Amino acid sequence: MKRSLTSIVAVAALALATSACGGDSGTDGPIKIGAINGITGLFQTPEVPKAVQAVFDEVNKAGGINGRKLEFISKDDAMNPQRSTEAAIDLIESEEVVALVGSSSAVDCGLNRATYSNNKIVSIPAVGVDATCFSSPNIAPVNPGPFKLITAMLYYASETLKRDKVCMYYTVLPGSGGGIETAIKEWTDITGKSLTVKDLSVGQGDPTPYLVKAKAAGCQAILYNAQVGPWFAQAATQGMTDVDFIMGANSYTDANAALIPAKINAYAGTEWQPYTDATLPGNERWSKIVDANKIQRTAFSQGAVMAADVFVEVLKGIKGDITRESVTNAFKNMKPIQYPMVGTPYVFGPGNAHNPIEGSRFVKVLNGKWQVLPEGFIVPGKN
Amino acid sequence: MLNSIIAGLTSGGVYALLGLCVVLTYRLVAVVNFAMAATGAVGAFTMVSLTEAGLNVWPALILGVAAGAALSGLLGAVLVRWFSGHDERTKAAVTVAIYVALMAAGLRIFGNNTSGARNFPRPFDSPAFTVGDVVVPQAVLVSLAFAVLITVGVGLLLSRTGVGLRLQALSERPETAQVVGIPAPRLAMAVWVAIGALTTLVILIVAPRLGGDFSTLGGLIATALAVAMVGAFRSLPLTLLGGILLGCLEGFAAFWEPVQQYRGVVPFLVILVLLWWRSRHEVWDTAHSR
Repeated sequence: MKRSLTSIVAVAALALATSACGGDSGTDGPIKIGAINGITGLFQTPEVPKAVQAVFDEVNKAGGINGRKLEFISKDDAMNPQRSTEAAIDLIESEEVVALVGSSSAVDCGLNRATYSNNKIVSIPAVGVDATCFSSPNIAPVNPGPFKLITAMLYYASETLKRDKVCMYYTVLPGSGGGIETAIKEWTDITGKSLTVKDLSVGQGDPTPYLVKAKAAGCQAILYNAQVGPWFAQAATQGMTDVDFIMGANSYTDANAALIPAKINAYAGTEWQPYTDATLPGNERWSKIVDANKIQRTAFSQGAVMAADVFVEVLKGIKGDITRESVTNAFKNMKPIQYPMVGTPYVFGPGNAHNPIEGSRFVKVLNGKWQVLPEGFIVPGKN
Repeated sequence: MLNSIIAGLTSGGVYALLGLCVVLTYRLVAVVNFAMAATGAVGAFTMVSLTEAGLNVWPALILGVAAGAALSGLLGAVLVRWFSGHDERTKAAVTVAIYVALMAAGLRIFGNNTSGARNFPRPFDSPAFTVGDVVVPQAVLVSLAFAVLITVGVGLLLSRTGVGLRLQALSERPETAQVVGIPAPRLAMAVWVAIGALTTLVILIVAPRLGGDFSTLGGLIATALAVAMVGAFRSLPLTLLGGILLGCLEGFAAFWEPVQQYRGVVPFLVILVLLWWRSRHEVWDTAHSR
C-alpha cells in the first residue's frame, strides 16, 4: 500500500512538473501557435486566421523551422468575454501553444492580459483593438492602434493639411476615453496646438445636430470615427464642402468609400500601407499570399500576414529548442524588424507596455474609391 | 441652441413615422411588434441589394416592399394561427424572439456597419430651405407630411369607415368579432401585410438619415417604442408629437455640454418622466385600459 501511494505521488509530481513546463509541445513535434479571432459576433475578421495559416503553410512547405512544422490553432470568441477567456486557457493549457500570433478580437487583450503574463507567453496580435493591447507586458500588436492613429490623424490635419481649427467628433468605446485624451495630449505636446471642439458623444441617430454645431464653431478639419453613410449624406446636405473630414482606419473599406458624396473631402488614416494599392512597399507579398489563397483583401489581412512574418523571422533566430520560454525570451530580446508595410520598425522588447508601430498613411475618397495620397507615412513629430 | 433644436427637428419626422408604425400595429392587431423595424430593414436591404445588382430603382422598390410585406405577413400568420388565443405579453415575447432571429440572420446576410453599409437612395436630400445655420432638406418635409398623412388618414379610416370599425373590433375582441361575422384571421393578415409594406417604406426614408447598416436599422425599434409610449400606444396625434419632441430633445442634448455624453439616454429619461406624470393619478392595482 505504502509503495503504491509513493508511486502515485511520484506520478502526480511528474505530471505536475510536465504541466509546469507547459508550452513545450515537445521538441520534435509541430510547433503549436494559437490565436483568438472574432469570426462570428459583432467584430468579424474571418480573413485574419486564414492569412496567418497561409503564411505558416508557406513555411511548412519550405521544410518548417529547424525541421518542425508550424501548427496554427485559431479560436473564435464571437466577442463573447466568457468564450475569449476559455479560448486563452484552452490554447495555453490544453494545446500548449508556444505563443499567440495574429489574434484579432475586440475583447481578448483586456480579458486575457493577466493570463498571458502569468503563463509567461507572448501575444503578437494582427489587430490590437482596445487600449490594453498596447499597455500590457506580454502583448505587442503589429498595428499602431486607435490611439497612435488619432495622434497621427491630428498631426496630418494640422501639419500636412495646415488646418487651424481642428475638431473631433468621436464615438467612444467603454474604457477608451483615457487613451483618446493621451493621444490628443501627445499631439498638443508635439505641435503646441489644441482642439477647437472635442465631442466624444457621437452615437447612433441623426448626425445633423453635430454637423450644425461643427459649422457654427468654424471647424476646418474634423476627425470622425462613427457611422459613415448618414454622417456624410447629411454633411453634404448641410453644404460642408470646404471641411476636411478625416476618418479612422475602421472606416477604410470599399463599402464606405462608395457612400461618400462626390463634393465631400473625406480622408482615412490607415494602419498599414493602404491595401487598395497592391504595388505599395510590403503590399506585394501580402497581395500574393491573399490572392493565392483566395482570402478577402482587407487591412486586417495585412496585419495577419505581418504578424505571421514577424513571428517566423523571430523564430528562425532562436538557437536551440523552440519552447514557450525560448519564444518569449526571443521576443523580449529581439532586434527591431524593418517591415515596409508600416511606418516604424516592429520590436517587442522587455517593457511593460508595447506600441512599437507609429504613424499612418492617408487615403482620400475620389469618385467612390480610395486614392492613396503621396506623402508616405506620417509619423507625428518626424515629418 | 435654436440651431441645434431645429437640427433635431429634422429627425423628429422620421422618429414620428417609426412610432406611428408601432402604434398602428398595436391598435389594429393588438401586438407590440418588436420585430417591426427588422422586418422593414429586410425589405429595405432587399431593395438596395437589387439596385446594387443593377436593377432599376422602381422595380427594386416594389420587390423590396413586397419582401417586407411578405415577411411581416409570415410573422402575422404565425401569430394568428398559433397565438391568437394568447395574451399580449406572449405575443410580444414571440415578436422579441423573431427580432433576435432576424437581427442575427440580417447581420450575417447583409453585413455589419463597415462591410454592410449600403448606399440607400436619397431622393429627397436637396435643401428645402435654411433656418439660421441649418439647411432643412426636403426629406424632413416628406417625412413630416407622411407622418401627418398616416395620423389623419388612419384616424379617419378607423372612425369613419366600416373597415375601420371592423378593424377596431378585431383589435379589441378578436373572438367576438369572428362570432359576429367579421373574417378576423383574413383581416388580421391583411393588416400585417400592409404594415410590413408601410414599415419598409418608412425604413427606406429613414435609412439615409439614421443609418445604412442592418443592425442600426433593425435597432431603431427602441426609438420607435419610446415614441409610441408617448402616445400610450393609442393616440396617433400624440405619437406624432412624441416623435418631433424626441428629435428636438436629441438636438438639444447634442448642444448642451453637460448632457452631451448621455445624448442617447436623455430623451428616454424625459419620456419616463412624462409617463410618470401621466400616471400620477392612477390607483395601485387598477387595470390599465389599452
